[in-house]
Amino acid sequence: MTDYDALVVGSGIAGMESALKLGDMGYKVLLVEKEASVGGRMILLSKVFPTLDCASCISTPKMAASIHHPNVTALTYTEVDGIARDGDGTFKATIRHKPRFVDEAACTGCQLCETACTVAVPDQFNADMVARRAAYIAFPQAVPKKAVLERAGTSPCTYTCPAGIKAHGYVSLIRSGEYEKAFQLVLDATPLVGTLGRACYAPCEAECTRGSLEGTLPIRRLKRFAADRHYAAADGPGVEVPRPNGKRVAVVGSGPAGLTAAWQLARLGYGVKILEAAPVAGGFLRLAIPGYRLPPEVVEQDISNVTAIGVEIATSSPVTDLPALKSDGFDAILVATGTQLSTDLGVPGEKLDGVVGGLQFLRGTKLGTGADLAGKKVVVVGGGNVAMDAARTAVRLGAAQTTVAYRRGRTELPAHKTEVDDAERDGVTFTFQVAPVDVVGDSAGHVTGLRCQRMALGRPDASGRRRPEPIEGSEFVVACETVLVAIGMAPEGAAFGGSIAVNANGTLVADARSLQTAVPYVFAAGDVTTGASDITRAVGQGRRAAHMIDRWLRGETLDGEPSPGDGFEMDDQLPLVDKPSVLGRQKAYGRGGALIEAAPPAARDFAEIEAPLTEAEARAAAGDCLDCGVCSECNECVAACPSDAIHLDMRESVEEVSVGAVVVATGYKLFTADAKPEYGFGRYKNVITGMQMDRLLAPTRPFNTVLRPGDGKVPERIAYILCTGSRDEAPGPDGRGGVNNPLCSRFCCMYSIKQNQLVMGALPLAEVTVHYMDIRAPGKRYDEFYEGAKAMGATYVKGRIAKVTEKPDGNLILRYEDIEHGGALVEAEYDMVVLAIGVQPNREVERLFGGDDAIELNDYHYVAERNEDIDPGRTNIPGVFVAGTASGAKDITDSILHAGAAVAQVAAHLESRKVPA
Amino acid sequence: MNAPNTAPNRDLREIIREEPLMRSRILEVLSDGPHTVPEIAEALGRPAHEAMYWVMGLRRYGWIREVKEVTPEGYFRYQAVEKETRP
Repeated sequence: MTDYDALVVGSGIAGMESALKLGDMGYKVLLVEKEASVGGRMILLSKVFPTLDCASCISTPKMAASIHHPNVTALTYTEVDGIARDGDGTFKATIRHKPRFVDEAACTGCQLCETACTVAVPDQFNADMVARRAAYIAFPQAVPKKAVLERAGTSPCTYTCPAGIKAHGYVSLIRSGEYEKAFQLVLDATPLVGTLGRACYAPCEAECTRGSLEGTLPIRRLKRFAADRHYAAADGPGVEVPRPNGKRVAVVGSGPAGLTAAWQLARLGYGVKILEAAPVAGGFLRLAIPGYRLPPEVVEQDISNVTAIGVEIATSSPVTDLPALKSDGFDAILVATGTQLSTDLGVPGEKLDGVVGGLQFLRGTKLGTGADLAGKKVVVVGGGNVAMDAARTAVRLGAAQTTVAYRRGRTELPAHKTEVDDAERDGVTFTFQVAPVDVVGDSAGHVTGLRCQRMALGRPDASGRRRPEPIEGSEFVVACETVLVAIGMAPEGAAFGGSIAVNANGTLVADARSLQTAVPYVFAAGDVTTGASDITRAVGQGRRAAHMIDRWLRGETLDGEPSPGDGFEMDDQLPLVDKPSVLGRQKAYGRGGALIEAAPPAARDFAEIEAPLTEAEARAAAGDCLDCGVCSECNECVAACPSDAIHLDMRESVEEVSVGAVVVATGYKLFTADAKPEYGFGRYKNVITGMQMDRLLAPTRPFNTVLRPGDGKVPERIAYILCTGSRDEAPGPDGRGGVNNPLCSRFCCMYSIKQNQLVMGALPLAEVTVHYMDIRAPGKRYDEFYEGAKAMGATYVKGRIAKVTEKPDGNLILRYEDIEHGGALVEAEYDMVVLAIGVQPNREVERLFGGDDAIELNDYHYVAERNEDIDPGRTNIPGVFVAGTASGAKDITDSILHAGAAVAQVAAHLESRKVPA
Repeated sequence: MNAPNTAPNRDLREIIREEPLMRSRILEVLSDGPHTVPEIAEALGRPAHEAMYWVMGLRRYGWIREVKEVTPEGYFRYQAVEKETRP
């Protein structure tokens, strides 16, 4: 017993005909179509020859019947990955359901998602003559008329963001001029939009695919652009204040992790109070990062997002007793206190006056209680980002000389390269491969210098960096009055009196995934658990903490392995898109926007030094986005859909079905016209293919009428070149290659004649000339159809076109030998040229069958029939049949007839298996 | 009137991706009345065949529409759709 009597692969006219006829006979049929609609190519045609009946009018009833037939199960946007023959003569087919990301039952086909979508891609259903959207309905007569979201994976910028910000989404929104929506998309992840627009180290830009071409997009600065636009115009975050859910959460610490967690929790309806030990909120954002990188007013704007939705922030409120906080009525507590302590140098003289921890130095500067460095020599020990901030701040405080002393080499510096470059630009000098031995002081206890020892770099250590090893006898003293120690940071893990377990490095012990500590109501996130990281990672930790606290307070488990769709993980992303595939989509690259110089000038004060992008720069930069994942996850379709039909969490599924017989109806490929370079397709914009002309003539055409793609002109003189890619064994223009296809494509003459008539009907003043080798019109009433075109005024000129050239005005010169008039070489000028392209075998059929059951192809790589004259449709594999153009070029009429033959073969096969042996 | 087609050919995807970017600029060009594709291309400083993709994309999604009459040179002119009926 099989699941289906027959599997039909492909739903073009032959596939639909096969499925419907088998269904009518009472067989259970599975019809599988890889595109989002049944119908194949016929539905895309203007009319059919020789009757000039509307192709849609003929196709759509069959399409609807294919979907609704009681014995036919039609699966669209589904592929057959393989077919294997069982020992009993039946088949097992592996069916892969590609995710539409749209609930077919809920989708009404309203196209609002398509209208809202911010990503434009070539419309393959309009022969690439116009754009469609990443969210799309295949074509107006699609059956089923359901939307699809084209998603190739998660774009690298989004995938790599530790904060879970949909970078591709906000870039595409800015490209569309939707700046506030871009701001809101970032705001969905964190309230710190302006902050991250300035102080994030932008791992997204390191992964930007455009970066491997002409240079990365300025993704971080685009975020800043959106934030600046919002804050310049709006009062408040512009989000609805949620209804309180009656539960309270205390957040200890107001750095990026705490603020982000508070924001997320408050948006879920929790009453949130942030307790901050410092006199100002913001943690490192306010007390460490210098204002020239992150102006304090930007941090205040970001923090105001949090307070605007009801989060209470208590400053100068250190917390040491977590159980007491619980007793105060908080249902959960998040500890996000960061890394407050500077690691000591551990050398003699460290207590001398003039030795200051890097963090304490930066904090003092921000609070106005910092050291006076005017005219002093300063040595900064360390090579991380805090060291760079300390050094650049010292320069701005008037230090006469600022030197960074680092024990490894330049390439091992842990600070981000931009920070190092900017520090050098500011006048900071670097001394590499030196380590402090002791701080030298005078009798009054003031620093006078730092004794250092030179280091050699040995083998890599556990961090992968080469281990610095002291060189004996290499000591020297660097004269200075101030030593800023920035060699590391550590959390004050012991601050909670032992209520939370602490690791050896001072970080709190918490589950890496749930962020829950051993005390169930206490969670910990950010640098206090991970050790020093960066703002963006802390934001990501804050988001995760909020998600997990919400789960815990709703009674959901925090244990066990997450499974798809269980909501355990926050960002249920598709896999990272394959970058080579992205780059392979295009033959050439060339960004429209100019590269934006990111390096700011050297500065000597605390004013912000990085210039904002202008609107024109932002739009142009966003326009360079390659849309790696295709869908940008901007969520505009989700917001626009009135049926809540968009589900970005849909995933591919695979099933195996058993079938009694298989009909291969996989159709053909169109000849790629640029393989005849002498005709100029792809280079000359007014050279199009016959399929493109059919789209221009169809009721659902991409243009308002037949127009030149090069400039929109209504063409007056149109030439057809027949046999483009057919009956062509001549070498290419360079003497090599060539089309190498001796076969006639069977229907190019006739569709050209059809188009001749339709063009002359649509454009009564147009002159149509057909350049042909010979006209093949063998079918019923075909020749009369040909004569009718001539009678309407179409001119037919015998002789193969040697070459097409383009004039500056877009007109085209055809050069040919006029065979019927003495063989003279003639040049004729046209507005537009149509290449009557032929067909090629669809070799995808080969991957359906493997091993010993490989399907046999003929000499031209079409599916071979055992005897196409007396046994049509039967292949080399018992139980596998072929219908339509998969076995060779056929017009629609012949494809339907051939499908009928294949259906009869299938029926005979299935019935023969019922006969007792 | 005829826009030259001598500009280097950029990949189709590069051009089409810019349609949302060009929308406001094209609508701005059309704010003083209907224009042909070559006129729009000239105002944008971009090749006519690129403008053709953007104009037809905007037409498809209801931002602009053609004026019925063809110019003596054989071009349709396109005008912005009234704001209240745009998507």
